[in-house]
Amino acid sequence: MGLMSYNGGGIIAMTGKNCVAIASDLRLGSQSTTLAVDFQKTFKIHDTLIVGLAGLVTDMQTLSQRFKFRHNLYRLREDRDMRVSAFANMVSSMLYEKRFGPYYCEPIIAGLEPDGTPFVMGMDLIGAQGQSEDFVVAGSNTESLFGVCESFYRNDMSPEELFETVAQCLLSGVDRDCLAGWGGIVHIITPEGTVSRTLKGRMD
Amino acid sequence: MARRYDSRTTIFSPEGRLYQVEYAMEAISHAGAAVGVLSKEGVVLAAEKKIMSKLLETSKTTEKMYKLDNHVAAAVAGITADANILINNARLSAQRYTFTYDEPIPVEQLVQHLCDTKQGYTQYGGLRPFGVSFLFAGWDEHYGFQLYQSDPSGNYGGWKATAIGANNQAAQSILRQDYKEDITLDEALKLVIKVLSKTMDSTELTADKLELTSVTKTESGEVKYHVFTEKDMEPLLAFANAASQASTE
Repeated sequence: MGLMSYNGGGIIAMTGKNCVAIASDLRLGSQSTTLAVDFQKTFKIHDTLIVGLAGLVTDMQTLSQRFKFRHNLYRLREDRDMRVSAFANMVSSMLYEKRFGPYYCEPIIAGLEPDGTPFVMGMDLIGAQGQSEDFVVAGSNTESLFGVCESFYRNDMSPEELFETVAQCLLSGVDRDCLAGWGGIVHIITPEGTVSRTLKGRMD
Repeated sequence: MARRYDSRTTIFSPEGRLYQVEYAMEAISHAGAAVGVLSKEGVVLAAEKKIMSKLLETSKTTEKMYKLDNHVAAAVAGITADANILINNARLSAQRYTFTYDEPIPVEQLVQHLCDTKQGYTQYGGLRPFGVSFLFAGWDEHYGFQLYQSDPSGNYGGWKATAIGANNQAAQSILRQDYKEDITLDEALKLVIKVLSKTMDSTELTADKLELTSVTKTESGEVKYHVFTEKDMEPLLAFANAASQASTE
């Protein structure tokens, strides 16, 4: 059956010039049955940090609740938001803690460092970090997502160009995946704030 | 005579008292005062800072006021090191509740949890009680704005206005006289400052001797914990100093 492809989904994160984008599809399924078409797989941690989680939805929900728990405590104790790179390391630790009984989730972390530098990182289900200069992908059909991103990515895209690129990559990438799609949501993070837009694509 | 029953927290004296708990409360009565007032628009907490030194890095050190979660804050009177342990405990408890139920912990539940911990140290373990009293200020959707007080025995109560720490009886009597049921947030702010100015040892109130916070709701309905800066406090202190000058003339 494959627990990683039971619910289905696709996530992309991409860097631009002083901005990052993270996008997910909106399908939630139980194998071939579609259960929801408004199911976001991205979770905001703070103004310049969003996590995307691909894989088994129950673990996605538990993990996002655990991230919220840890970040809230961090904020209370340190009186500041967690830096993206620090958060990524924390996620990696949390996943490795369950090395012999893992969460069936692959996180994508996207955000801006305090000095504004874009940061994207993908991880496997036991916390192996894969930081990238350009883009990272996760989901039930990463081959397609890698293909479109590799073709359409350019360096130093502005927030508007980045949005177009990520949106097109996501929509065409999930088209080849029967378990992902039904629209998408794209978040563009800049030092001034985050803009989120919902996409409508092939609704199948 | 009482000396024989002092050393263990886990035993009663023949008169039915727990001496260690009482000694803990004695420690708190020497600590900097904290006052809280509940209004329909929010809860105000004010506290007297005992540690005053030019060398103290004031920008980030808070000695008396702590945020426990987005919707609850606490003022401390007593041994700061003991308070830090309990504050951390409270923060964890609030997050665990949110993790399980996906909603903010009701204020009274948080108070109960902390008080249950404090009570444990009066009954088992052979460890001394925490030398801390708290004033909890918060908002939840069940009971709106609330103010609670807790002490080393693990007792707690809900209050409209109360004070802990040094001179708390004097503070309480002023509150009894001046508190009115439909007090506004502004009046509450003025009241806490007035109470502190009368119970503190120093002659004039200045911003560096005080910590002042409020728990209110923004227009969008979010609960906000606001720490008053020195600048924010200026008009309130000016008002209080003028009023006390007028009353002595």
